[in-house]
Order: sequence, then structure tokens, then C-alpha cells
Amino acid sequence: MNNPIRNIVIVGGGAAGWITAGLLAAEHNADQGVLAANPKLTISLIESPDVPIIGVGEGTWPSMRLTLQKIGISETEFLLCCEASFKQGSKFINWRGQTAANHNLADSYLHPFSLPIGQQELNLCPFWLPHQHEIAFADAVCQQFQLTELGLAPKQISTAEYSFINNYGYHLNAGKFSQLLQKHVTGKLGVRYIADHVSAIHSQQNGDIKSVATREHGEIAGDLFIDCSGLRSILLGEHLQVPMISQQQVLFNDSALAVQMPYPIAEVPIASCTHSTAQSCGWIWDIGLPTRRGIGHVYSSSHLSDSAAEQQLRSYLTADFGEAAANSAEFRKLSIAPGHRALCWKNNCIAIGMAAGFIEPLEASALALVEWTAKTLSNQLPANRAVMDIIASRLNKAFLQHWQQIIEFLKLHYVLSQRSDHDYWHDHRESSSIPATLQDALQLWRYQAPSAFDISHSDVLFPAASYQYVLYGMGFQTQLSGSQKPSLQRKAQQLFNENIQRIQTLKQALDDNRSLLQKIRLHGLPTI
Amino acid sequence: MTQIVLLNSAEHQHLKINTDRGAALGDNLWFTPTFPLEFRSVQAQYPIFFHKDQQTGKLYPVALFGFTHQENLFLQHNNWQHSYIPLSVLRLPFLIGQQTVREDGVEHQQRVIHIDVDHPRVSKEHGEALFLPFGGNSPYLEQVAGMLETLHFGLQDSQQFVEQLLALELLEAFTLDVQLDDGAKHQMIGFYTINEDRLKQLPADSLAALHQRGYLQAIYMAMASQSNIRNLLQLKNQLVQQAAG
Repeated sequence: MNNPIRNIVIVGGGAAGWITAGLLAAEHNADQGVLAANPKLTISLIESPDVPIIGVGEGTWPSMRLTLQKIGISETEFLLCCEASFKQGSKFINWRGQTAANHNLADSYLHPFSLPIGQQELNLCPFWLPHQHEIAFADAVCQQFQLTELGLAPKQISTAEYSFINNYGYHLNAGKFSQLLQKHVTGKLGVRYIADHVSAIHSQQNGDIKSVATREHGEIAGDLFIDCSGLRSILLGEHLQVPMISQQQVLFNDSALAVQMPYPIAEVPIASCTHSTAQSCGWIWDIGLPTRRGIGHVYSSSHLSDSAAEQQLRSYLTADFGEAAANSAEFRKLSIAPGHRALCWKNNCIAIGMAAGFIEPLEASALALVEWTAKTLSNQLPANRAVMDIIASRLNKAFLQHWQQIIEFLKLHYVLSQRSDHDYWHDHRESSSIPATLQDALQLWRYQAPSAFDISHSDVLFPAASYQYVLYGMGFQTQLSGSQKPSLQRKAQQLFNENIQRIQTLKQALDDNRSLLQKIRLHGLPTI
Repeated sequence: MTQIVLLNSAEHQHLKINTDRGAALGDNLWFTPTFPLEFRSVQAQYPIFFHKDQQTGKLYPVALFGFTHQENLFLQHNNWQHSYIPLSVLRLPFLIGQQTVREDGVEHQQRVIHIDVDHPRVSKEHGEALFLPFGGNSPYLEQVAGMLETLHFGLQDSQQFVEQLLALELLEAFTLDVQLDDGAKHQMIGFYTINEDRLKQLPADSLAALHQRGYLQAIYMAMASQSNIRNLLQLKNQLVQQAAG
């Protein structure tokens, strides 16, 4: 029980497996990117050649910058190898719905990655509310609203790797991303790669996993097993029998159709945000890479047939790519069982990625949760088996908190909609489908703007600002009582003006995404 | 505006270059590129820092003349107050360019002289002639050609110098905060300097490699040049005082 945890076995490649391997190796086996002479951990990653990676996770959060930096990958290499571009947030189109009261307001809004200006000093919501009919919330408090509309990049060629002018994550080619991670993590960080199929799992008496049997490499033993096997969840789910907790009663979407579309002409601008366009029974994602767009329709199969979903996706494609291209496009069908495991860690096994849970990619939370779990595991890696259960129970608690927040935050997008073109939207607003804590929060936000007090735990995935962007982007009404103090009003006005000035300056100073990527191809980003 | 063309004796036979100094002639420069082979002369008078090219993001060493855009504190009454003027200033309005030529059927790159014909130094009336009345280059143009050649090799070497510094993580960003005698404060950002802590910890083989290329000397000269900030401050204080008085 007191033997140190030395031998770590990861089952499954894909982004989850390689990010976990990379973070563990960089933290425990390397110093400033250089592998130690005597690495503390032995890390093996077993990837089955029989199981293809799903690879539709093509949007990341800004947290990915820090993750890649920790793993020690150069941003220039990453951008060029993974066909990556810059993502500054998500733009939601047609989510609010047109009513008699709002029909002259544009039905789109931005959930940007940058926090509202002056967030540390002052919550600007109460000062924006009186002007809500003149200017969109995100435009009033954040530079990214106008800059992303213009397709401008979040940094300049002289901005160092992983530094930014405006906060950003990435759009990337998931297949190439896994390949780059694999090359780096095996080549530079000493992680052992075993291309083999896991055929059996052997247990200790206490229920711990002792080893996994492979076809060609025999038995592989370990002190800690990490299940990155995807939806099958072969260690935590199948072997350790940790049940799935379905969330389909809250978030109905259980199907997706995905397609990759080359640009009609090579030099068209690359969008700065993920576009999410609401449909009658779901929504369509649209992710711009330098080489192509990744587009997909996520929908509820109990509200919409596959063929009708396909029809909606084709008509979306027709608008941008023409009828011929839209009609000949081939779609890949994916099933989503929305939900998560009851625990992410049982005995000496922790699941990361889809093996732990999966939900529609409305806020691209999948990779962010992988990063959070891998980072937390790496920081709190138990010293020995005796203390493992303590760490496991902490991680399980935080895991469930994160899932609850993700589910409620995604649900918020649907609850606020005023669309009435299909039962789907009515069903989403049915109170029996809305978690009680979210109902309470919505009640509260009718009289006060979301703040950090609304979030019960630390180290959150979605800060209060995210709730503000979505609520006010969707036209939610908060009725404040009384007026604001004059000194604070002056401060707020100052911040609004500063935002306008910065936008003007940056409009002149920033390249569009494609031009910046071209410069990066020629010169590379500076390392400092 | 600039209009850069290949220099040729037919079209540019009558051009003259004004070699006086002055803001109107484009000398109101905040800083200018320099290179290790020039550091010995530059460090005697100007602080040497590193700056990023806004078009490529590449770092390069610069000699600093002031604290803000268009401020050259060494330029007083159309006189440059120091004996050494960096080559990247002296060469104006000329630039070096590459041209592909065929010689005996073989293509190769040749360096050629370009000129910015819109530069305020260029006219047909004042200054040094480029070509002799009956053909041939003027001694001035020969001198310019030599200067451009030195600059070309100097800047190439400079690139390698910077790459070595980056590879050894010897550069770091810094912010220069200065306070003038009248209490006014200036903050300069966007400049980089030698990371002295890293330099102290550098293993012997890295030091030897730097020394071999002459870069160790350049590093110490760049560090020593920082004391010239005081000269700059003094000049600035004088200027402020004159303006007030």
C-alpha cells in the first residue's frame, strides 16, 4: 500500500490520452522540457490499432495554450502541423428567436473568451443595462465583438508564442493534433507507445486493476490506470462497472451529422469564432480551419428524423457552398449518449475524456474538461496506493461539480430561447427538464446580474462573465432597483470609453487570421 | 512616402544626396538597427537594446536615440552631437537589394544598390553627386557601396547572433521607467535586453561557442552600453529645461 506510484498505464490514444501522457511526463519526468536522466514515472500508452479515434473535437478553450506550453510544444509548430487557426469565442445565431417585441434586433450574439473590461474592479452589467437597446453587451464590454466580426486575429506576428492581445483558443484538425502530440510525447518526453489491442483486464484482490493483457505485448502491469478508451470506457465503465448518469432529460441532443467542406476558393477569410446556428431541433456547428470548414448538425432524434436533419444541414451548406457541393457532401453519423459516469476515479483507475462522459459540443467543453482532469491528476498525483482514495474522492467531487455546471450552463442557452417553431424548444423550457439550481439562479438574475457569488466552487470552467454574455446576448431582462452611485457611473463610463479606444487602435494594428498564419509560416512566432 | 527603385546611371545621373543632418532629412529617429560588428563604436555613445520587427516578429539589436517616437535626442540644431552615426542611418536613402543575373548561362544572386527617390535627401540641386559628369561612379557612391556591403554582412551576422541568444534564452523583455528632473515619468515597453542571470549560469561549452563567433564580446558590450541611458536622460532634461526656460 505504501509503495510509490511509479508505473502509469494509459489505455487509449486520441487527444485525451496524449494530453494526459504529455502533462504527466512534463510535470514529473522533465525539467523545462528536458527529460530527466532518471524519470520518476514510467508512462505507457496503449492504443488499439482496431479502434479509430472519433476526432470531431476541433474547438478548444484558451486553456489549451497553457496545456501545450506545459507539454513543451512550440506554438508555431502546433499551428502549422495541426491546420490550426485562432478561436476567440462562439457566435450564436438564431438562438433567441424572433418575437413581436424583438423582431428589429439582430438574432445573434457573441460569447467571447476575454472577460469584460475592468472585471477586476467593477461589474459593468448594471451600468450597461440602461443602454441595452443601443449596444450589445459583448460590444460594450469587450473588444472581441467587433474584432471577430472583422475576422481579425487575436495577436500580431511580434506577439510571443502563447501570449495574446485578445484571449484565444484554437480551431484545429483533431487527427493531426493527436499525431503531433504523439510524436512530441513519445519523442521528447519518453512516453512508451504500445500499439496493441487490450484483450483482457486482470484484477487484484481489492478490486484494483493489476494489469491489462494485450495481443502481442503480453501483460502490462501498472500502479495507476488511466482510461482514455473513449465511449466504450473499457476500464472504468465495462470492467469496474461505474454506471453512466444520463442527462438526456435535460439536454435532448443525442445525434450528430458531421461533414468537412473545402473552401470554395482558397483565400476566403477564416472565421475567428465557432459559429453555432440554431435549427428547429438542434443547432449546426461551423468551425473554420485554414484548409476547410468542419460543420455538423447536432439534434434530438426524438424530435427530428435523421433524414430531416440531413435536409437542414444540406440547406445550411447550400447557402455557402452552392447546391451542387451541398448535395454531394457525405455526412458522418455520430451518436451521443449525453451524460457522464457517476465517478471518474474508482480503485486505481481514473477515466479522462469520453470514457468519463460526453455531451453535445455546444461550448466545446470536452477538451477543456480533459485538460482540467489531466492537470489536476498531474498536480495531485497520489504518492502511494494508501492515499489514493483520498485524492480520488476529492477529484470525484470536483468532477461532478464540473459536470453539473456544464449541464446547467448548456441548458441555459435553451431555456433563454424564445423560439417557438418546434416542440423541441417548448420541451427545453418545460420546468421539469430544468435543474432546480438553474431555476433558482434564473429567478435571482431577474433582479441582479450574475456575479461570482452565483458559482459555488472554485476553479470553475465557466466564470460569472460567461453567464452574463449568454444571458444578455439572449436578451434576458434584469430589473435593477435604484440607481448606481455617481462615482461608479463615472468609472464605468471610463471603462466603456477605454474599450472603444482599444477597438479603434486594434482595428488598425491587427492582421486577419489568414494573413497572420501566412506570416507565421514565413517567420515563425517569436519565443519571447 | 517611399519609392524604392534600382539605382542606374542613366535615370539617376543628375541626382544628388544631401548629407547634412536634420529632422527634416529623416534623422528624427527613435532608434535604428545595429549589429555586433558595429557594437564597439555604438556602445561608446548609445544604449543597445533589442526590438521586434513589426512585420516579421524577428528580434534585432537597435541603438537608442530617444524615449519616444520621432525623438532623436542627439540631433540638436541640425547637428548630430556624436562622432559615430550608425551605418543603418548613414546609408540612407540607399538600400541593398538582390538581383538574379545570368553569367555564362548560370544564374546567381547579385547584390545591387536601390534608392528611395522620394527620400528628403534626394534632389538634383543639393549635395553629393552620384555619378561623374562623363560616366563612372562618384567617390561618394563608392563609399556608399562599401557601407552597404558592410551593413549587409553585419545584419546577416546579427541574425545569427540573435538566434544564438534566443536558443540560449539569453534575451528578456524589460520595461524602462525613467523620471525626468521635472517629475514627468516615461515608460518604454517593447524592448529586450540580455538576461544577466541566465548569462551567469551559462555552462562553459555554451560560453565557448559564443566566444568563438565573437558574440560574447558583443553581449558584454550591449550590457555595458546601458549606462548610456544616463546620457539620454541628461539630454532630455536639458531639452525640457530649455523649453520651460
